Amino acid sequence: MSPRWFARRCLLIGYTLLIVSLLVFAITQALPADAAVMLLGENATPDALAAVRVKLGLNDPVWQQYWHWLSALLHGEFGISMRTGQPVGPAMLLALSRSLLLAACSLALMLALAVPLGIVAALRRGGPADIGASIVSYLGVSLPEFVTATLLLILLADRLQWLPATGYVPLSENFTDGLRHLALPVLTVSLILIAHVSRMVRSEMVDVLHSDYVRAARLKGLSGAAVLFRHALRNALMPVITIVALDVGYLLGGIIVVEEIFALPGIGRQLIVAIETRDLPAIQASALIMAATYAVANFLADVAYAFLDRRIRYE
Amino acid sequence: MTTQVLYRRHVLAGVAAAGALVALPRGIRAQATPTHGGVLRISVDQAASVINPLLTRVNPEYLLAELLYSGLTRLAPDMTAEPDLAETWTSSPDLTEWTFRLRPNVVFHDGSPCTAKDVAASFTAMLEPKTASAARTNIGPITSVEARDDRTAVFKLSSPYADIPVALAYTNAKIIPAAIAQGGLDKLSRAAIGTGPFKLVSYEPDRQIVVARNDAYYDRARPYLDRVEVVVYPDATAEASALIAGDTDLMASAQATEFPRLSSASSVKALRVPSGQFLNVNMGCDQKPFSDVRVRQALALTVDREAMVGFVAQGYGTPGNDTPLNPAYHFYKALPLKKPDIAAAKKLLAEAGYPNGLDVTLIASDKPSTRTQLGVAMREMAKPAGFRIEVQTMPHATYLEQVWKKGPFYVGFYNMQATADAIFSLLYTSNAAWNETRWNNAAFDKLVNDARSTADEAKRRELYAQAQSAMNEQVPSVIPAFFDLLAAQRSYVQGYALHPRGAVFRLDFVSLGPGAPRRG
Amino acid sequence: MSDVLRRLLRTPQGALGLAILAILVAVCLLGPLVAPVDPEKIDFLGRFNPPGGKFWLGADQLGRDMLSRILVGARTTLPIALAATLLGTLSGAVIGTVSAYLGGRWDEAIMRTIDAVMAVPGLLLALLIVNTLGKGSLNAMLAIAVAFAPGMARVTRSVALTVRQQDYVSAAIARGEGSGWIVFREMLPNVIAPVVIETTIRVAFAVMLFATLSFLGLGAQPPAPEWGLMISEARGYLHQAPWLIVGPGIAIALTAIGFNLLGDGLRDALNPRDER
Repeated sequence: MSPRWFARRCLLIGYTLLIVSLLVFAITQALPADAAVMLLGENATPDALAAVRVKLGLNDPVWQQYWHWLSALLHGEFGISMRTGQPVGPAMLLALSRSLLLAACSLALMLALAVPLGIVAALRRGGPADIGASIVSYLGVSLPEFVTATLLLILLADRLQWLPATGYVPLSENFTDGLRHLALPVLTVSLILIAHVSRMVRSEMVDVLHSDYVRAARLKGLSGAAVLFRHALRNALMPVITIVALDVGYLLGGIIVVEEIFALPGIGRQLIVAIETRDLPAIQASALIMAATYAVANFLADVAYAFLDRRIRYE
Repeated sequence: MTTQVLYRRHVLAGVAAAGALVALPRGIRAQATPTHGGVLRISVDQAASVINPLLTRVNPEYLLAELLYSGLTRLAPDMTAEPDLAETWTSSPDLTEWTFRLRPNVVFHDGSPCTAKDVAASFTAMLEPKTASAARTNIGPITSVEARDDRTAVFKLSSPYADIPVALAYTNAKIIPAAIAQGGLDKLSRAAIGTGPFKLVSYEPDRQIVVARNDAYYDRARPYLDRVEVVVYPDATAEASALIAGDTDLMASAQATEFPRLSSASSVKALRVPSGQFLNVNMGCDQKPFSDVRVRQALALTVDREAMVGFVAQGYGTPGNDTPLNPAYHFYKALPLKKPDIAAAKKLLAEAGYPNGLDVTLIASDKPSTRTQLGVAMREMAKPAGFRIEVQTMPHATYLEQVWKKGPFYVGFYNMQATADAIFSLLYTSNAAWNETRWNNAAFDKLVNDARSTADEAKRRELYAQAQSAMNEQVPSVIPAFFDLLAAQRSYVQGYALHPRGAVFRLDFVSLGPGAPRRG
Repeated sequence: MSDVLRRLLRTPQGALGLAILAILVAVCLLGPLVAPVDPEKIDFLGRFNPPGGKFWLGADQLGRDMLSRILVGARTTLPIALAATLLGTLSGAVIGTVSAYLGGRWDEAIMRTIDAVMAVPGLLLALLIVNTLGKGSLNAMLAIAVAFAPGMARVTRSVALTVRQQDYVSAAIARGEGSGWIVFREMLPNVIAPVVIETTIRVAFAVMLFATLSFLGLGAQPPAPEWGLMISEARGYLHQAPWLIVGPGIAIALTAIGFNLLGDGLRDALNPRDER
């Protein structure tokens, strides 16, 4: 892990973010029936529409709009929301913190459950537990998040009434209530993550347990537990980190849907509301923030991967 | 108390006309003295992004404008005009000039006095097209407003108009300081300088807006509450759960799907009132096939209106008879409810030249989703008569740009207006601002015009009855169902009456009874 | 071809996947004929009927039969998911192969840009594209195709590069075979296999993605009987009619599982290592 490698990765992220900003801007700027109409609704007269369009800068050439937007961005200003008239930045960052909380809890739950599940399935390979886990993980991978979320809603919130259905309470306001409101979203997101990861852990563990390396260690007389924890696990966990990194992308997508269903005011929800109200600056800001988070998460995953495997050298 | 009398009058009218479905508002009970103090937390379903009263557009924004500002008059629960900033009013015999006398010693939140000059400036701003205020076309045919002296404002109209007092109670017709009206409207996007019963304390539109009692309000007894917190719950289920759990005290509006849950929750009082909010199916009367009245009448004969109430309003509504008035309106006239008659519809279609039926596309915007449901239900109901309707959904902004007022066949959705004239002139007269159907019927125009130009109650009733019959017979729009307004409150909330207009809340009459939680 | 099929049927996943898919195709083709009731027919008295009686899977808020709607709904979801995946695969394959062929700096530049586009998560990209093009099934299909293309480009490129360097290709060149023969008999069969496997699994994603877009209101528009849309409409009636969600949910899951299983089976059946 040399400084050169680090620098190269940073440059790469910069390039990526630039392309992403171009992509986001290009896609959203080509909007047909536009923000001005949405803003004024039934009371729109041609004069009023023209005035609003000038005020929002919708008549400037596209590249100029992009330049304004980008330079403002680099100063930390994300623009003014067309819907609320408030600066977009602070609202987005607050929403991002909530989404990150959701993501962090889900990842934690996933690690706590998926790794042991995968190991157990690998050790009891072919047995009923393995097959059962296989079926459950197949289901987990084949159900879109909104189906899982709604089914969990019906079961846990409506029929059994164990948890509140929707809504959000900040943890700072009321810790237990906040946790209860977070429970269903976290459960939904982690369920699918657990399905992915436990399958991967299992198949990696199976490979590693039969590898020459482990057989040699056993022949050397090392105990089962030592073999397991010192050698097999570390090798099996590497692809897991790759999967988790890949899953961050899924996580972001799933978060959009989960936040919508459970009315969690995170960054996914901001995006959906912005799309619905055609709030251009908000759409661009939330999309960019989500993509940037993904890129940074991937970067961190790379670092973790390199850190865990001292044998891999990056140029 | 006058309020009590008005409530009772409204309730009697409601009960007589709409059956036993009206939930009696709390304010009916004799209240010795409402308790002063307390914080009311009211939940709304979307952010109030605009608090400039001239530009407000949706219910949460109307709610805030009502808390922070006053108009010359306000709307009582029975749809008549009550004094607000104006104490009394008179008109010239020909109803073209109205004089309003203001209360003395009214002050704005910043301490400056509110005089007729501010009234004149506010209305001038409202009437100015550049302001793009919804008030412009909804407060009557006003040409100018002048301040004769500090306490007298004179309204000059371009034509006689009997409903001016009620029209001036319009949601956007609020009084703002003259200086701001004349060149600083932007100042009101973050701050509020009005004469309302509450003052703005904090403003986070997406989360919570807090207002506190205005001790300088012109009515020393009111408001009873110390503070009102308006919280946003974009999700209907979460909003209902919050009320049931006691996190909020009052829901401004409830969805039909949540209403059963709210009705059965303990300590929660579900509120329901018949209102003039409706969905209509507009037919372009200036082009084939709907230029032929027989086609329109045929379509009207295929609709089962009672069933439609079930389909689009989940039973919380009243059947419509192809006029935009229902018992919630003052001048409503009950006509025999049209029943489906497929044979007659087929015959009319054949007479109009469509013996093998008719293919049409019905456009429904996606906001609210009940438009599509109406479309689908209508499609199925009209099929046996030979109408082959294709329902097409469209994003609301596109619909507003391309279809609304122009299209041949689309679904509209309207809130209740304060008067019969308001809804007729908004949608169905030839020179209506939102002439949806291009019906342009001269006889109808004359009826509406005559009715608004006289103050004679009996005469007006007769004229409006004829107007309703005309619409019922000519069917420029099929209006199959009206929605009841639904809301809910905790039992300890007192003095709140669900107003059929939908945009009026009158929270300055609300107080908290025993059992109310102490909120920080 | 036939021995691939035989090998496919021998694996449990392949057999099951093929069976499910056969049912789905049948439903697509025959759906409206098999449906017990006209899926559009509204029934005032039948509203919110639980499963049982004349409504095998229950009735929705307008009294429409859920079973009929689900059967007809396959005709919306399946063709669009297939079309989107094929479009994405084709465009991705072209880009990937071109990049591999060009090699050098061009390859590097194209791949870095592809990586950057992939930095935008699939659903997000699809959302933005649909937001611009407008809501609707066709636009959702295009959006999904665009979201898939970069991934497929990477797969085809890496496969193309690997195959080019394989021993059997060098051996064929050493034997003096013509380049046409080399491409078609040696390279192509080994390129197609991973691509086909990846594509099959992608269809499962496409089904779920399309359902998600429709759920969010950006894909199929009401009153279309699309499964994701049906679940979205049913959300408001969670308390009174949960079966409105279970039916379409199972349909989506079954479809995705079918394609996943088929992909797994194909992976075993088409394993290039066994070819030699």
